[in-house]
Amino acid sequence: MSYVSIRRGVLATTTAGVLAVALAACGGDSGGGDSDGAIVIGSSLPLTGEFSQPGTAAEQGYQVWKEMVNADGGLLDRDVELKIKDDASNQNTIVSDYNALIAQDKVDLLLGTFSSLLNLPASAVAEKNQMLYVEPAGGSPDMFSRDFKYLFFAQQSTSDKQGKVFAEYVAALPEAERPKTAAYPTLDDPFAAPNVAGIQKILEEAGIETVYEETYAIDTKNFDTIVNAMKSADPDLVVHGAQFEDGIGLTRSMLKADFTPEMFYETNAPSFGQQYVEGIGAENTEGVLYAVSHSPDADTTGNAEFVAKYEEMYGTAEVPEDAADAYAAAQVLQAAVEAVGDIEDQEAMADWLRENEVDTILGPLSWNDDGSPTGDFLIGQWQDGKAQIVLPPDASTAEIKPGWTPGGAG
Amino acid sequence: MTEFLQNLLLGILLGGVYALAAGGLTLIFGVMRVINIAHGAFLVLASFITYTLWDVLGIDPLLAILITTPVIGALGWVTYKVLVAPIRTAPMASTVLLTFGLALVVEGAMGEIWGNNSTAIRPSYGDESFAFAGLYLPKAQLYGGLVAVLVLVALWAILTKTWLGRAIRAAAINPSSAELVGIKVTSVAALVFALGIAAAGAGGAITGILYPFVPGSHYQWIARLLAIVVLGGMGSLNGAVLGALLFGVAETMTSAYVSPSWATAVPYAIVFAVLLVRPQGLLGTRMREDAVMA
Amino acid sequence: MTATTDTAEQSAPTEGKRSFLEPIWIGRAIALVAGVLLLAYPVLSDDIYYQNMIILSLIFAVGTSGLNIISGFAGYISLGQGAFLGLGGYTVGVLAARNEDVTVWWWIPAAGVVAGLVALVLGFVSLRSRGPAFVIITVAFLFLVQVIAVNWVSLTNGTAGLTLPLPTWDRDIMNWPFYYVLCAILGAQLLMTWWIRRTKLGMGLIAIREDETKAATIGINLPVQKITAFVMSTFFVGMAGGVYGYYLTFIDPRGMFSILLSVQLVLSLLIGGKATLWGPVIGAFLIEYLNEYANNDLGGGNVRLFLFGGLLVVVVIFLPKGILPAIESLLMRRRTAGKAGLVGARIGSGGSLASITDRVQLVDRSQIPDRPLLEVKDLRKAFGGVQAVDGASFAVPEGSITGLIGPNGSGKTTIFNLIDNTIAADSGEIWLAGERIDRLPSWSRAHRGLGRTFQLTRLFGEMTVLENVVAAQRSFSVAGLGKVAVSGAEGRAAEELLEYVGMRAFRDQKAHALSYGQQKLVELAQILMLDPKVILLDEPAGGINPVLIDRMSEMIRELNSYGKTFLIVEHNMPFILGLCDPIHVLARGKRMATGDAHEIQNDPAVIDAYLGDDFQLEEKAGTP
Repeated sequence: MSYVSIRRGVLATTTAGVLAVALAACGGDSGGGDSDGAIVIGSSLPLTGEFSQPGTAAEQGYQVWKEMVNADGGLLDRDVELKIKDDASNQNTIVSDYNALIAQDKVDLLLGTFSSLLNLPASAVAEKNQMLYVEPAGGSPDMFSRDFKYLFFAQQSTSDKQGKVFAEYVAALPEAERPKTAAYPTLDDPFAAPNVAGIQKILEEAGIETVYEETYAIDTKNFDTIVNAMKSADPDLVVHGAQFEDGIGLTRSMLKADFTPEMFYETNAPSFGQQYVEGIGAENTEGVLYAVSHSPDADTTGNAEFVAKYEEMYGTAEVPEDAADAYAAAQVLQAAVEAVGDIEDQEAMADWLRENEVDTILGPLSWNDDGSPTGDFLIGQWQDGKAQIVLPPDASTAEIKPGWTPGGAG
Repeated sequence: MTEFLQNLLLGILLGGVYALAAGGLTLIFGVMRVINIAHGAFLVLASFITYTLWDVLGIDPLLAILITTPVIGALGWVTYKVLVAPIRTAPMASTVLLTFGLALVVEGAMGEIWGNNSTAIRPSYGDESFAFAGLYLPKAQLYGGLVAVLVLVALWAILTKTWLGRAIRAAAINPSSAELVGIKVTSVAALVFALGIAAAGAGGAITGILYPFVPGSHYQWIARLLAIVVLGGMGSLNGAVLGALLFGVAETMTSAYVSPSWATAVPYAIVFAVLLVRPQGLLGTRMREDAVMA
Repeated sequence: MTATTDTAEQSAPTEGKRSFLEPIWIGRAIALVAGVLLLAYPVLSDDIYYQNMIILSLIFAVGTSGLNIISGFAGYISLGQGAFLGLGGYTVGVLAARNEDVTVWWWIPAAGVVAGLVALVLGFVSLRSRGPAFVIITVAFLFLVQVIAVNWVSLTNGTAGLTLPLPTWDRDIMNWPFYYVLCAILGAQLLMTWWIRRTKLGMGLIAIREDETKAATIGINLPVQKITAFVMSTFFVGMAGGVYGYYLTFIDPRGMFSILLSVQLVLSLLIGGKATLWGPVIGAFLIEYLNEYANNDLGGGNVRLFLFGGLLVVVVIFLPKGILPAIESLLMRRRTAGKAGLVGARIGSGGSLASITDRVQLVDRSQIPDRPLLEVKDLRKAFGGVQAVDGASFAVPEGSITGLIGPNGSGKTTIFNLIDNTIAADSGEIWLAGERIDRLPSWSRAHRGLGRTFQLTRLFGEMTVLENVVAAQRSFSVAGLGKVAVSGAEGRAAEELLEYVGMRAFRDQKAHALSYGQQKLVELAQILMLDPKVILLDEPAGGINPVLIDRMSEMIRELNSYGKTFLIVEHNMPFILGLCDPIHVLARGKRMATGDAHEIQNDPAVIDAYLGDDFQLEEKAGTP
């Protein structure tokens, strides 16, 4: 058992002890809001781990908003400071983080985090402490069945309704152009699964036959069998509920199997811009449809300024959707604070949001009593290597094109 | 029937790549009685290095194996000398924890260097297939499988045809006697560790082409590789190859005919079943406990 | 503060009066102060950040302390401990979602029960695996439970997870109920750990950790002990997991069954110190603090991976025993510095058998029936292609000292291993006192009167000499597990046996500190504690000095004169020829001859196969 001499053991103990004391000494609290200085807004984002992709984008969105607000004279004439922690996509960490933001850093306001799985516990901390919690993501219908008073979702609709516009469009197509059969592979995920289920319901009611439906686990790497089964079922339309990695994986498997359905709709992944293009190849994006909350080209309030500022700060006009969502969440918070004129009365802010509509770069947003939004999502499509908004018609930047033609126009 | 054949074909190709990665793990266990939990992390690290070679220098990812493998192997050698050698005589559970810690550190390092974004290597042939008789054969999988077979044959040749191979086997069977006939067991062990990790490196270069990866992917890899090694019999190279092929097919078939959401349960179920019913695995032999204790 | 030293101290009143400055009292004072501070904290401060940190630390402390029972005491490292926190959380989540008008607290005990039941099943299932195989099984278990939680949507709501109701009590005391309930659970957990440590159960577990096969041969019922320990290591953990779920208000498969949770528990245990009472608690608080620190001040994410991974590596290499034991051995060395150790002391001259009558049953030799006490029939065992034992049959007459000789590799030790089930035979029969025992596990054979020493002694190195002797269990009952580890009567009996073999002066030494010959004597005392009918000695005279060899044969003769039957494997020919009758000669895994010393020495086949031509001369010169 004792394969190391006691001397080394003791040495290590001492070192560990000294280290712990040293850590404790420099681990005192830092920051803390004081009422006359800057307004401190706290958030914890998954900057590493499973959800690091959207988490990092969200941080950019918050930062852009901060820069723009401060350049514009601040919030209630006070500068805004952001306190952003990293929860590593981990649930007990995010609970610790929001507790720390409230108690330790004494932030004045909170902003939400990314993914439903993290927003669920984080919003409960905010609710317990009666602080307004505007979340940029977390569209799972479960979020809003808890009768929370301080929770608001800053996108156009919850995830079960995000594909609605697309599904209604397909259902309304003339008989000849309308797909007869559809396949629904989806990631087992509280965001993707309800999204696909919502579309499936509408399409089935419209008489489009379901020839394949299957849920796969988050750590699935090998999509060949799913694609193989789909290929045998030979659907006209594939509706894929995906996050990012699996979206790329399944699409590439489809290409390898030379399985190219007439229409291809996929959640999330196609909205990742350049990263998506690199993932599956520019020539293969042609015609892919997806639901999206934001378009850099949209003619919404302040959108052009936001995109310009984003490009200035991060060197690309390809704004990730998640950055825009985060920016919009901050806009919602800003509107509530300015309407109430005070950062103390969080209840009044929540009441105000329930009553009013807020103009954001995603378009006007308004909420039900449970904090879920009342609007409609946008539908995007890749055309000539560029992401366009094609539905609904009043927000569109391009005409919708029928058909997915990989390897074609590139 | 076509669908079944297609699934079988895909399963076997998948198994070939698994065999390569699992071969290194079983080799390390066979010689050193060390279960290297960091094996999956080294595999993913190889994927990242291959990605950089391909992305920055434009080297074909399959050719990049010639660079990736020695680099990863050298890392394995250093790992052995610095971390594993000091606790060679410790209980096996200690080395499990040690290599687990190492896996976490490597994961953190990959996150720092390459970021936590999903990464994919896409050579020109990445999305192409050969088609015949109603079946399709993805080029990347086929090339990957061929390279895997080549590396495995090389490994097998080293083990059976060279002096090093005889020394490795001697050291595995009886370390103290091996020392007597002039084999430096620690040096052999370091070489084996390097070889085993290098095999994972070659595997990582191939899997990087087949599937997108993130630093955290190593958990799924180590789960699969352990299942394969346990299934084939810990320490048996032939067993690992057989186990990998069976495993590849089992995973594919579960996904196709049961449900993809249960396919991820296959490795864990296999580990359970094998360790309970036949702890020595398919091709392993039961260890003599009195000999091991002595 | 380890279990072993503590029990040693309990039974060591002879050391003189204890000072309140001794480490144990300092330790208790520190624990008391820490406990009071912990309980007073929420009243003194309303900083919810630290309250949250302590709540999480308490949860991990319960988890680690539970893990300590199976991993620290029994030596089974589990990377699946976090699963029991998750199971507890899910039990509460599922029950609370279906019974909305009942307060969530009612379901906390149910969480413990569910965790315990799952551990019971897993215990049965994983019994056959040891060491690294067990580690792998626990990881597989963790992921399997996760997959089930993901896929059993009707119960768990799948990946979307379950939400629990927000607490309804006053906001001002928001965290108090969680805080104090967890303090109570941790208290109960520690009380249980302390209880286990001072009972037969705890001593059996430590014996299992030190040498499981050996533990079985001295009568320790492995499955019952291990499964009991496994269930006990999860019950309170399940309860803490229930509170954890309620506290988070949301549970989902990825968060609840994350492998990092289990890693954090193992790391806490290793750092704090395995098999100690307070080590796991200290480790859990330290790691949770470092975790928060890395997260808030070092940038989180990857840094945390470096921290956890790096610490794991450093601890395994440099601090394999953890902080508390390291401090303890430091203090120990200070106290004993300058004093001579006992290891070099002389072995006692030995006592007489008359003094040990209450432990070892003595029989009038004239009453011994003329029958084989131990008999093996057509025993076979192959290792791979090597037929180590190939149809061996022989008998050990009751009251005899039977010898078993043969060239190296003839299968002698393997036969011993088959007789006490250290290795399972391929086929053949073994009879003990008219009962067939070849289907029985080792401990049952020990309970029926089989005692065996090993060629290379196998004492429990981290236990004291006295504990080694007391660890032998002559019978088994579940209730017996709860008995105090070293009762007065047992302690006396063990001391008498040690006196008899001449090792009493060494009773408080750790067994690994003894010389080889001394270990042989202790091992003999240990199996005498079983009061065996037949004693199997594997090379009792091997590797020890001539004086000790004489003493050994003297003891064998004396025990035999009181009716004990012996079966001896030995290479020392004068020793065995002088002592044994009959003698069986083995070659190539089967018996080739049987006879008394004279017959064996003159059997040409035996001489040819084994003794060699020059043997007779040497033998004639040796015996007067």
